[in-house]
Amino acid sequence: MVKTESRRPGRRSISSSPAGAVTGRLRRRRPPSSSPRPPGLTARQRAAIWVRRHRLAPYLLLIPATAVIAWLILWPAAQIGLFSFQDYGLMQIIGAQPTQWIGLGNYSQILHDPEFWLSLRITVLFSLVVVPLTLTVGTLVGLLLSRLGRKMATFVSTSALLAWGTPAVSASVIFAWLTDPDGGIVDWSLSKLPSWLGGGPHWAEFSWQNSALPAYTVLTALLVWMGFPFIAVTVLAGLRTIPAELHEAARIDGAGPWRSFWTITFPLLRPVFMVLLMLSIIWDFGVFTQAFVITAAPGNRDEFNLGLYEYFKAFTQPPAYGMASAIAFILTLILLIITVGYVRASVKQGEVR
Amino acid sequence: MGLRKRSAVLAASAAAAALAITGCSSSGSSSSSSATGGSSSSASTSSAPSTLTVWRMGASVPEQVTWMNGVVDQFHTQFPQFAKTQVKVVWVPWGNRTQDWNNALSSGKNIPDITELGNTDTPTEAASGILASLTSNLKSWSGASDLVKGMVDNDTLNGETYAVPWFGGVRAVWYRTDQFKAAGITSTPTTWAELAADAQKLQAKFPGTYGFPAVTNDTNAFASFIWGAGGQIATQGSDGKWTATLTDPKTEAAIRYYVSLYTTAKVSPSKYIGQTELGNTGATSGGANEDFGLGKLDMYIDGPWGKATMPKNSVDMANVSSFPIPSQNGPDAAPVFAGGSDLAVFKTSANQAAAWDLIQVMDNPTNSTSFAKLAGFFPPYSSAISNGVYPGDQFMAGFAKAALNGQTAPLNAKNWATADNGQYLIIPTMLKKLMNGASFDSTVAAANTQLANVLNTGNQG
Repeated sequence: MVKTESRRPGRRSISSSPAGAVTGRLRRRRPPSSSPRPPGLTARQRAAIWVRRHRLAPYLLLIPATAVIAWLILWPAAQIGLFSFQDYGLMQIIGAQPTQWIGLGNYSQILHDPEFWLSLRITVLFSLVVVPLTLTVGTLVGLLLSRLGRKMATFVSTSALLAWGTPAVSASVIFAWLTDPDGGIVDWSLSKLPSWLGGGPHWAEFSWQNSALPAYTVLTALLVWMGFPFIAVTVLAGLRTIPAELHEAARIDGAGPWRSFWTITFPLLRPVFMVLLMLSIIWDFGVFTQAFVITAAPGNRDEFNLGLYEYFKAFTQPPAYGMASAIAFILTLILLIITVGYVRASVKQGEVR
Repeated sequence: MGLRKRSAVLAASAAAAALAITGCSSSGSSSSSSATGGSSSSASTSSAPSTLTVWRMGASVPEQVTWMNGVVDQFHTQFPQFAKTQVKVVWVPWGNRTQDWNNALSSGKNIPDITELGNTDTPTEAASGILASLTSNLKSWSGASDLVKGMVDNDTLNGETYAVPWFGGVRAVWYRTDQFKAAGITSTPTTWAELAADAQKLQAKFPGTYGFPAVTNDTNAFASFIWGAGGQIATQGSDGKWTATLTDPKTEAAIRYYVSLYTTAKVSPSKYIGQTELGNTGATSGGANEDFGLGKLDMYIDGPWGKATMPKNSVDMANVSSFPIPSQNGPDAAPVFAGGSDLAVFKTSANQAAAWDLIQVMDNPTNSTSFAKLAGFFPPYSSAISNGVYPGDQFMAGFAKAALNGQTAPLNAKNWATADNGQYLIIPTMLKKLMNGASFDSTVAAANTQLANVLNTGNQG
């Protein structure tokens, strides 16, 4: 947009916004507004004409959704922004003590807290593993689905969507049971495996919960299991839009599946993959429910990710809502930076038009 | 976190029954019908609440439900103006208590009228302003004079009393006499070395079991090891300032010993790292308590109340006995954390008078003693304790012995709840890190600094 404007500076004088450009065009086509009005129009009809002339209908239709989002998301977000600069705890909520502005106090305290850096490191490393893994598994299943017959495809996609549809708490509890030191099937199976496969009796009562690496291994398996179906179905939908002739031509030219994926499928579906990548990062960065259950969170403070760290700042004794708001803002900021990077990359590639 | 609460409306039928009783006995004022004397509720006769909500801690126990039903009946008889008031008991897992109090207070919804508090919580919660002052009520209550003074002092802040002691309890080591006999152990251990050696003997004799669990998130039990080495967790100067003493050589010896139970003596499995004696924080059953019941553990530390949460298919309790937690070099037992619970009225409750009247019934000498005996507690009344609560009870012998040497500080410090189960799990996390192989000196030093800051300022600074 910036480039376009610099090349054609005259445009700015006509209108400063795309909506204005539209009305500018309209004015040329229709009689000017100063022309005598058709007689006998009711106020309602005149309003309708005004709305149509200024092309306001889309905006009017957006109002209800915007209002809901503003009420449920924007307003709380603004409040969180306010709290993050205040010493806001239990006493302030019930009004026993006045709220105090402490500037960047919450932020500086967080940045000096080793627990914050530990949880940030855990969050980033975890996302670095889970996002590519989910995308890979999801894409492979999507490709598989596109080659299966109708019945088999229905079966596979239904099974996968069941995993996706399982409520987060139920899925987490199931995984916690699978890896339970007392009779969990994972520990039992590992203890029965021969030692050259990595098994052995030392797995018999292995606890997956009480240090970060095992706990996040289980969490990785859980999130990939829950996350891949959405990727698979989205990729499948994308695959359906690619004309069959392209793959056919590639095959005739002697391209194998690997080659035709990277030269045809991936470039054509790049926008889809970008969106999936962004969504996966946002989800895996902010994962809370599953992490809470799998790491048995309240007892294991050295296994916090950012979500758990924030939650426990806000809700354990003494509640520090201001501090937790500041963490929420830092988390949002990190995700915003990633998102902005993504938007810039897409604009450069000419995908956003 | 309402999900984890189990609630039980106890008195739906009891209220109806009480109606009939009060129909016969409703002559005279409420104070004359009160066996334990004292009533502060004459002003509130006109506004009897339809429901009183009582928060209990832990898991619902059938005998305690029955006991509570009886108390509610007495409450209706002694205070006829509340004869139609139902009493609703909500069970809150210990691990969720501060969170649930805070949520109730900040949301203004689902507020308890009465809440049970751990005696270490009371100073914190009184200071945070969620509890109503009971000072004037206590002055006019006949039960007050016989309450153990130390327990009342614990609930008093700046001259105001915010809670009434309800029961006291101590921990000891549970063991099985049949197992000791089979392993050839003739007397219970009185030193750390004997404890570890006996744990190894039992473990060898009974394959598939573990000797002694080094649970990390139970500072109330672990404190006995520090005290049993002559160390302290923290000490308070005359100016009120706390000095953390985790790096004191005596305290360090206790930390080393406890960690070694897992790392070198290998009498404890890795699953107890990060757990309380009931399993994960917030759980109401499981962990070492359940494993001992199932015969997977040969010994463990808990209070006598642990019986209530053991599984149905537990080992024969007739063989289960207790001995006080050994000190480093014996022969005297280690000091034990003098735990217990208090009853308090929530400051924002609309039913202050009714709540206090119900507390008077729950906590009168007869009811508190019968309640204490259900779970192996000790009543908060000096005369009851000096008469001996559990004469001739083999299982209770170890606990009764341990109770003679109780200590509470610093576990009742104002910021202790923050340090130990709120924002910071300082000692549990330290033990956990050490068991997972962190360097000893730096880990303990970091925990020590953090503990001093939290005890003094409420955050780690």
